[in-house]
Amino acid sequence: MSALAFALNLGYLALAFLAPGALSNLFGLGALLYTAFARLSPNARALNLALLTLAFTLNLQRSGNTLGLIGLVGILVALTTLPKIPTWVRALLGLAILLLSVPIAGFANTFIFELGIQIGIYAAMALGLNVVVGMAGLLDLGYAAFFAVGAYTWAIFGSEQAKNFLQGNFPLPGEYMYLFMGIAIVTTAITGLLIGLPALRLRGDYLAIVTLGLGEVVRILANNLDHPINITNGPQGITPVQRPPIDGFRNLMAHLGVPLDRTTDYQLFFYLLVLLMIGLVVLVNVNLANSRFGRAWVAIREDEIAARSMGIPLLPTKLLAFMTGAAFSGVMGVIFAAQRTFVSPESFTLLASITILGMVILGGMGSIPGAILGAAALTILNLDILKTFSEFVRTSFPQLPSQVDPAKYERLVFGLVLVLMMIFRPEGLIPERRHRAEMEEA
Amino acid sequence: MKALEVQGATKRFGGLVAVNNVSLTVNQGEIFSVIGPNGAGKTTFFNLLTGIYAPDEGRIFLFGKDITGFPPDRVAKEGVGRTFQNIRLFGAMTVLENLLVGMHVHIRVPYFHALFRTPLAQREERRAKEEAERLLAYVGLLHRKDELAKNLPYGEQRKLEIARALALKPRLLLLDEPAAGMNPKETEELQAFIQRLRAELGITVVLIEHDMRLVMRISDRIAVLEYGSKIAEGTPEEVRKNPRVIEAYLGKGAAGGAA
Repeated sequence: MSALAFALNLGYLALAFLAPGALSNLFGLGALLYTAFARLSPNARALNLALLTLAFTLNLQRSGNTLGLIGLVGILVALTTLPKIPTWVRALLGLAILLLSVPIAGFANTFIFELGIQIGIYAAMALGLNVVVGMAGLLDLGYAAFFAVGAYTWAIFGSEQAKNFLQGNFPLPGEYMYLFMGIAIVTTAITGLLIGLPALRLRGDYLAIVTLGLGEVVRILANNLDHPINITNGPQGITPVQRPPIDGFRNLMAHLGVPLDRTTDYQLFFYLLVLLMIGLVVLVNVNLANSRFGRAWVAIREDEIAARSMGIPLLPTKLLAFMTGAAFSGVMGVIFAAQRTFVSPESFTLLASITILGMVILGGMGSIPGAILGAAALTILNLDILKTFSEFVRTSFPQLPSQVDPAKYERLVFGLVLVLMMIFRPEGLIPERRHRAEMEEA
Repeated sequence: MKALEVQGATKRFGGLVAVNNVSLTVNQGEIFSVIGPNGAGKTTFFNLLTGIYAPDEGRIFLFGKDITGFPPDRVAKEGVGRTFQNIRLFGAMTVLENLLVGMHVHIRVPYFHALFRTPLAQREERRAKEEAERLLAYVGLLHRKDELAKNLPYGEQRKLEIARALALKPRLLLLDEPAAGMNPKETEELQAFIQRLRAELGITVVLIEHDMRLVMRISDRIAVLEYGSKIAEGTPEEVRKNPRVIEAYLGKGAAGGAA
């Protein structure tokens, strides 16, 4: 088996070199599946995964085919979930993929950077929602509201928008974005408090409905606060939003011998910034999970009465979870606004909230790698697979009416994915220990 | 010193008076039992003491402090630990984690320290874990510390629930039918264990129990509830001879089996 895996992966490496593109990538994905599921010794598996990383990177670099990115995500999943791989191999390969392979692919096809950034932003938010839903068990259907508050916090002051109601020199220079990441933590946490205070007195379905409503209130406010005083510029949205200056970053990259042009420089910058944020968010998530706060959240989720009898106050503890999750989302909102340079209410609809929730559920509630994988899977599905498939259908069957364009069935596919999940793997793709235990009980 | 003083506590659910004008006093260091036929209002009475329900009338004092109407988490902070009739462990958490939840109010880690796992947070966590392990050793569950609570056998779940209540460092411990489902040998062990708690930790214990052998052997004093009202109170000897108690348990159509 070991020999077959090795042969497959070497074959793919050759294919990646000779015939890079979608077909060879499909072969590579097959080889990856075999490597992950065949009985291999840990060392053989580590070696094969390294080989695959190299091959996918090569293919991406030569063809820019986004299936290669799926391969890289697959390798990351294999590295996090498969047993007995030495820790240094996991760390080294993981870092190589995130810091080398993806940027290399991004230079070949800038869409890969875009995908990486979107995945990152959604992954950080899914991790925030994971605190609320996964740990504390509070079903929040209005989570995109916090994303909106964070995005508008910077968009208003990082553009000329603030001139409409404030004296002063607007837009603020781009460096202020970093300060506003901090400010957004405060504004979103306060929003979390305001929404949470009434909503968290309710439970279960009632909480879900109320958060849904309040989330919509935030979006509608953003839509309508263009008069009497123009704060949000209404449905037109705010543009251009300042980005931080990156001269230092450019110089640093030039020193490292990475040539950057006018499109890739900001993309690489935001990609790395988002990566850094995910690192921070994961760290904070793990720390909280292993603290008295994380335990209190899980205790409340499992049994409110028992938790209260242990001296855990209900509302403050739930509010803390809510505000923590909100703050994660707020910071990512600032980055989102700066990266897009454009903010409008359309990005913060109910569907956005549900998509983030879907990421958490798909990955496995309460599971940190699960939330990231869920974000990657749904983002790639929405932005890449469906669009590519559409393209394929349109060119191959031009006689088909445009109503059956697959890209229009995003929600249908999304719904199907969730239904299939609930049937075949209700605990999520990478389940968390406690949730798995609860599922077994049911 | 009075550990617990209840004055005229009453709780109504619609037309049903679940607890009717009950007054009683538990002295510090006592083992006090509340008995009565099924549906007599014993658990409701416990829920009044722990703040799960607020009494409609009457007052509750804990070591002289009025705690009437306190929510459960504040009652817990005042030093009241409890177990539940139908075990309420955090099943998907490990045995050790259950105890750490019990120690919640004693782990002093501010939020921002927890966020970044500062040295202070690490120190407190380590201290809490050591203490939890000591407590587990004390109740004889240390070898189970990394198992999920729901995977423990029934008797050990009962033990763990008591240990979790002890993690709170209670001054008053309320046990709701701790011997339910135990065989005579286990019940005897439980009796020794409760007596040890009082002797070694100085905890005042109030228990609800149906096992009359246990109640009569362990209690300093007993209160008897029937239809929400207290019909008798006294030493085991006095209660055993009380004609109203005998009637409540055995005679005149009183429902519910006796011991």
